[in-house]
Amino acid sequence: MKTRYLLFVLMLGLLAACEPKIDEFKADANGVNFSKFVAIGNSLTAGFADEALYLEGQEYSFPNIIANQLKSVGGGMFTQPLMPLGEGVGFKIDTSSPFGITCNTRRVLRLIENVSCGGTPLGTYSLRPVYSVENPNQLELIQQLTTPVAGPFNNMGVPGAGVKDLLTVGYGSQLGNPFFARFASNPLTTILADALAQNPTFFSLWIGNNDVLLSALAGTDQGVTALDTFSKYYPVIIRELTDLNIKGVVANIPDINSIAFFNTIPWNGLVLTQSQADSINMAMENIYHLPWTDYKAGPNPFIIEDPTDPKGFRQATNEDLILLSVPQDQLKCVGMGIINKFTFQIYPIPDSFILRAEEKDNIESAISAFNSVIRNSIANKNLAFVDMFSLMGSFKTGMFYDGVSFNLKFIEGGLLSLDGIHLTPRGNALVANHFLDAINGQYGCLIPKVSVTHYPGLKFP
Amino acid sequence: MLTLMSAGLLFAGGYQVNLHGQRNMGMGLIGTSLSLDGSSAFYNPGGLSFLKSDFSFSGGLSLMMGRVTYQPVDMEYQAHIKHKLNTPLYFYGAMKATKNLGVGIAVNTPFGNGFSWEDNWNGRFLIQDLKFKAITIQPTVSYKIKDLISIGAGLVYAYGNIEMNRALPIEGANGEGKLNIQGSTNNWGFNAGVMVHPFKSLSLGLSYRSLIRMKVNAGDVTMTVPESVSADYPATNKVSTALPLPANLDFGASYEFGEKLLIGFNLCYVFWGVHDSITFDFETNTDKLKDVTNPTLYKDRMIIRLGAQYKALSWLTVRAGGYYDPSPIPDDYFHPQTPNCDQIGLTCGVSVNPFKNLSVDAAFLYLMGSERESYYTPDNFGGKYRSAFYIPGIGLTYSF
Repeated sequence: MKTRYLLFVLMLGLLAACEPKIDEFKADANGVNFSKFVAIGNSLTAGFADEALYLEGQEYSFPNIIANQLKSVGGGMFTQPLMPLGEGVGFKIDTSSPFGITCNTRRVLRLIENVSCGGTPLGTYSLRPVYSVENPNQLELIQQLTTPVAGPFNNMGVPGAGVKDLLTVGYGSQLGNPFFARFASNPLTTILADALAQNPTFFSLWIGNNDVLLSALAGTDQGVTALDTFSKYYPVIIRELTDLNIKGVVANIPDINSIAFFNTIPWNGLVLTQSQADSINMAMENIYHLPWTDYKAGPNPFIIEDPTDPKGFRQATNEDLILLSVPQDQLKCVGMGIINKFTFQIYPIPDSFILRAEEKDNIESAISAFNSVIRNSIANKNLAFVDMFSLMGSFKTGMFYDGVSFNLKFIEGGLLSLDGIHLTPRGNALVANHFLDAINGQYGCLIPKVSVTHYPGLKFP
Repeated sequence: MLTLMSAGLLFAGGYQVNLHGQRNMGMGLIGTSLSLDGSSAFYNPGGLSFLKSDFSFSGGLSLMMGRVTYQPVDMEYQAHIKHKLNTPLYFYGAMKATKNLGVGIAVNTPFGNGFSWEDNWNGRFLIQDLKFKAITIQPTVSYKIKDLISIGAGLVYAYGNIEMNRALPIEGANGEGKLNIQGSTNNWGFNAGVMVHPFKSLSLGLSYRSLIRMKVNAGDVTMTVPESVSADYPATNKVSTALPLPANLDFGASYEFGEKLLIGFNLCYVFWGVHDSITFDFETNTDKLKDVTNPTLYKDRMIIRLGAQYKALSWLTVRAGGYYDPSPIPDDYFHPQTPNCDQIGLTCGVSVNPFKNLSVDAAFLYLMGSERESYYTPDNFGGKYRSAFYIPGIGLTYSF
């Protein structure tokens, strides 16, 4: 008997020896009540990705990732207005459509056969971010978009929402934003009212991006929220939240320079051979009587529309941003950005695909002013603050995480989804970690962070 | 994008295993001043001609079992290394050709290990699993001048092979991409030593095992990636790389207190500093697959060993020992491919002689790795690591 016990004890000892112990991470709320976490914001909070709101993207929304981590410090259920399983819905305003909008499904990476400008298949394939369903049934997508889901929901992120929209009565009505209308408690509520009605004990607020971004995406600085408006409404949101005497985390507006949508097509993306350059130089001098006779083999500046130029167009400079939405077949096959191959007219890239230097400067000043408003509004409120403006700047430079190099480059960077604006699940995990850093830092709690590479990146065919 | 690291391993510093005799293992792996059996050919060739018997054959193996635990500092997440059962083995044959001339042959697996981190762990892009084996064959001669001093030397032929797997951060329909590298190589080195008995009870030894550079030329690279990126990651490729097996300079002293008790110590200086970087030179390079040189910046280290044996009965000898083996890996260059902590080894052992010429030798080594917080800064990966190993071994010695 004795030897048996001895063997048993020995075996236990061996097992213990085989499992080296590290002091475990001890999660600690440090007195903060995380039991009811409500996330307020726009598409980034909603988990919008790949140009659509879809179920998997929502599951990897950064607030959902945070909520999962909060469970170890007393966090409760976190509900989201999930889309039905499927390809998701995004839309663009389209006055030519009977619905006023054109819907799309999410984008996916596919290998698409290359086609010559004449339409001949070339037998070679390229990786392209395309809609998962070509020419989808519009009625079906609109139905998905407008089918109500019963709340309340902890994730109050509404794609497209700006600062004022959080307080706008009717934003959840038929005439408002369909992404809010589908889960608003009633058509006359506001996003903030539905958030406050849940009696949150902790909140996240990442809003203001669309106050500049919606204009920038359309290639203009017109429509940027007036500073007066931003300064009027943002502090109201903060006041209403902090009046509940709760804690929370606030993020500011990232720099548009950090977003692939504005940084993928180079201003000098007109790549020429020597003979092409020679003919263009000759044509510029003799036919168009333009002073641009220094085209050369290799990259050259595109010609872009510029309403402020006496000619209505000019050569792009490295201060101009060409948007990812530019029709690339026109660049490649028709001569957009230089000379139209069919009409032989100068064919500038239309202004709606360009953020000209001055527009870019105006947008950057607006971001900077709005971010000051954000900082001032939360001063002395004991709120955690995430400087997304600076962080996105450092993401752009790139960094290693779990031995993998990440940056904000389109497709290959690993952080931005296929719309070049919103985040991949890994991007969301990284953002969630920075929110958790801010919360831990402000309130002295210890909330465990997530391992970024345990979340999916882009799927390659 | 690819940052490959050394084929490094776990034991005794970076990847050196010193399990070359159960009797030595029982005594904290001392051996530089001992002439216990044929293992002298490895520990100090000079000791071979001091062997008491005319012929000595011994062989044995150890069972290495162990775990390494990893935890990022700010997460609840933990990952473990699961060690495949590794069985380093040895065989020695030694004979006295003349009264003063000893010859012998040693077959060892002085370096080597195989392990895998658990599936889908967050360092899988640095290393998922690794197998590395080296075998050395060492013909040895030793000559003694009276009973005072003996010198010896051996020529070492080393053969090694390596296989490693890691994940590639490109996800397709069939999961993440994979990288597999396999290669083998061989090279020569030497082992030389001197042993002195200034008076009967005292033995001093000094030995030097040379550096052996294991160069892999045209190792096989296989990459499995989604079709759309296959141009950047060719499915088959060749790679050249090199891994140094570092030189060791050992000094040992042992003293016999009467007939029964022997106490000794060793100082083993390992020239790890030779391992300052590792280069992977791919035959076919692409935009995403460039040749890489990763710093490793190992530091030379001294291992301190103590051991004793006691002949309790005519048929029974018991042993105990311990050692301290500081990790050669700096905190900023700690790669999960060689998750080596500072280690304290505690050993015990026993020899039983059922017959006059036969000895059954058994030993046990428990290696405690102290917790360290270290990073591989070029890849921004790290956290807390801790290791523990549990190594029983058994062998036979037949002498006449």
